[in-house]
Amino acid sequence: MRRGGYAPIEDYAVIGDGRTAALVARDGSIDWLCLPNFDSPSVFGAIVDAERGGTFELQPSIPFTASRRYLPRTNVLETIFTTDAGAVRVVDAMTIPDERLPPLRELARSIEGVSGTVPMRWRCAPRFDYGRARPETGWRVGVPVAAWRGEAIAVANWDTGTPAWTDGAVEARWDVRAGARSLLALATAHGEPLVLPGRAAVLSRLESTIAFWDRWSSARGYEGEWADLVLRSALVLKMMIFAPSGASVAAPTTSLPEEIGGARNWDYRFCWVRDSNFMVDALLRLGCYDEARSLFWWFIQATAFTAPIVDVLYRLDGGVGVPEREVDLSGYRQSRPVRIGNNAVRQQQHDIYGALFETAWLYSSGHHALDADTGALLGGIADHVCDIWRRPDSGIWEVRNGPFHFTHSKAMCWVALDRAARLAAAGEMPSRHAGRWRREADAVRAYIEEACWSDDLHSYTRVAGGADVDASLLMLPLVDYAGADDARLRGTVAAVDRLLREGDVVYRYRAADGVPGGEGCFLNCSFWLVSALARCGRLDDAAALMERVAARANDVGLYAEEIDPASGAFLGNFPQALVHLALIDAATSFSPAAARRSERPAS
Amino acid sequence: MIGSAIAGGFVGTLVMTTIMRGASEFGLTRIDLALLLGTTVTDNRRKARAFGYVFHFLIGLGFALAYGGFFAIVGRSGWMLGALLGALQAVFTGTVLVNVLLPVVHPRIGTPETAASEIALIEPPGFLMRNYGRRSFLVVLAAHVLYGAVVGWVVRV
Repeated sequence: MRRGGYAPIEDYAVIGDGRTAALVARDGSIDWLCLPNFDSPSVFGAIVDAERGGTFELQPSIPFTASRRYLPRTNVLETIFTTDAGAVRVVDAMTIPDERLPPLRELARSIEGVSGTVPMRWRCAPRFDYGRARPETGWRVGVPVAAWRGEAIAVANWDTGTPAWTDGAVEARWDVRAGARSLLALATAHGEPLVLPGRAAVLSRLESTIAFWDRWSSARGYEGEWADLVLRSALVLKMMIFAPSGASVAAPTTSLPEEIGGARNWDYRFCWVRDSNFMVDALLRLGCYDEARSLFWWFIQATAFTAPIVDVLYRLDGGVGVPEREVDLSGYRQSRPVRIGNNAVRQQQHDIYGALFETAWLYSSGHHALDADTGALLGGIADHVCDIWRRPDSGIWEVRNGPFHFTHSKAMCWVALDRAARLAAAGEMPSRHAGRWRREADAVRAYIEEACWSDDLHSYTRVAGGADVDASLLMLPLVDYAGADDARLRGTVAAVDRLLREGDVVYRYRAADGVPGGEGCFLNCSFWLVSALARCGRLDDAAALMERVAARANDVGLYAEEIDPASGAFLGNFPQALVHLALIDAATSFSPAAARRSERPAS
Repeated sequence: MIGSAIAGGFVGTLVMTTIMRGASEFGLTRIDLALLLGTTVTDNRRKARAFGYVFHFLIGLGFALAYGGFFAIVGRSGWMLGALLGALQAVFTGTVLVNVLLPVVHPRIGTPETAASEIALIEPPGFLMRNYGRRSFLVVLAAHVLYGAVVGWVVRV
């Protein structure tokens, strides 16, 4: 049910082609689509401005209920609309290009009558450049077309009524009888002429897209517990890998709020280094060796520009610098501002060095050797970590009232130096400075044990000398900071469980962070707690929590960044890669293959 | 003329390669021509750079011969004419050669059309190679102008 024109975030499903993604609401409206890429301006942005954002609606024109699912083992969405007059099946997909002169991007919407005769309507209101541009509208050989500067879309349509442009939107109504099939195809162009696809070509691409995703899923090897959720997570993660470069987008949306009406609205359409170790680990566990290699190559290419300093995030094309600005949109349920770009890139977040080296370690030990240039690059970065780990930083949660001496950041610096020394010992990196890396790793550990432990809490603390805990400490067992039977590690997991968990959800922290307003519970923290409990041997507790968090997925198996613990409503950008990565890590924590990462055999 | 073109092409490519590698080391660009060219034949990063340098020198010699042919046709040579040809070649390289033509024959480079069904190992360079850094084209331009100047200076018609 929409409120003020906005559907609940959990009412959305996502379809994509590895270049961009669209959010499809349960009522058949596509309320988010950026063209031509994830990080391009939106053409449909109703999710962040219901009036001006632009939308592509398709639904019965009489009251209806909707049920939906992804076609098995695919990223192709099926929605069944049921009305008093009959039922209609809609299949939505961003098609994978073939050899039949496909448009630059293509979104296919197939409509089939299941029973009765159902009156249907569709309406396409493109609003280029985040709703700020009114397009020129017209017709090309009978096909409605909208264009603005170098951008253009066409809405090819077959047996879907007689469309007409009205006030910047093209719309039509028609009846769908049982057994009949209608088709809509949004074809897009960017700095080139539009390709107007034929009906047979669109249907062919729709079928081959279904076949592609099914084939890709068949090659995934996971058969353990929660296999359906793991496969859905793998599919959505694959969809969010920007195929032209191999980078992985943190989420395909911007400014879906962490609090309704609040200001914690961020742009996630970039690649965070932090996600990389989870991503490479998940890809390798699921047998996606090519994708893992592509992502690692991308990281090496992207970080080469700033090395030995590593930025928090990079653009999908490998570029640096994503200046943050606000756009004049009303925001999801009046949650302003809507931000484009992300100033977190300017922060010092030392944990990303640990993520980068963990990625290199997993990549190297899991499948591929490092080349000499990559080893030299990483060597320079390891030296840099030796120089900076004593400084405070903004931490994993990108607080804006810092910097502080975050325990998690220190631990990840330890990971960076420990993995660097291990890689050097394995001959994957130059060993000239390996002694220094090992000495500094020992110094980091000594600092953590001395300054970041609280006897009162019987836990490591959020910051050095602090008196509270932080969900990021759950990462310590995940990165093998200590063995599963280590008393301090077990105490920390128990403290986070005791102090930050409410039911099945886990708060990040209880302290102020310099950003006004509140937030929900970060779902990745819940999955990290599952992983940590499992690695500490508390398998029953972990399984019970996993069952409850797994049930928090929406009807098509997707998660947003956060959840309102009381209502279960999704908050934050959607779907979020880190949550699905944490899910995969949690689900696979129960299997024997979840042995300590640092002890996996080198190839 | 052929002998001087080969000599000029060798020295010019040497200068160009040094400039581009130096610019990369100084953080002006992420262009890695050896990797770009070498990954057309292998996905092994170590071997790719070796192949890439060989390809780059062969291409440099080929273009020097073409420059020599042009000088012979117009009946004059010189470092200024060579530098002008180098500038034109840089514009062609940044707008068409690397951005449009190379992806056609390169099995591992991404393009705006690359979708989920394909795996790209090399990020697409983008128009004027801006994806590899905003100053990339200036580096390419400077390297090609110097290459052309060297070839124009060495080749005699």
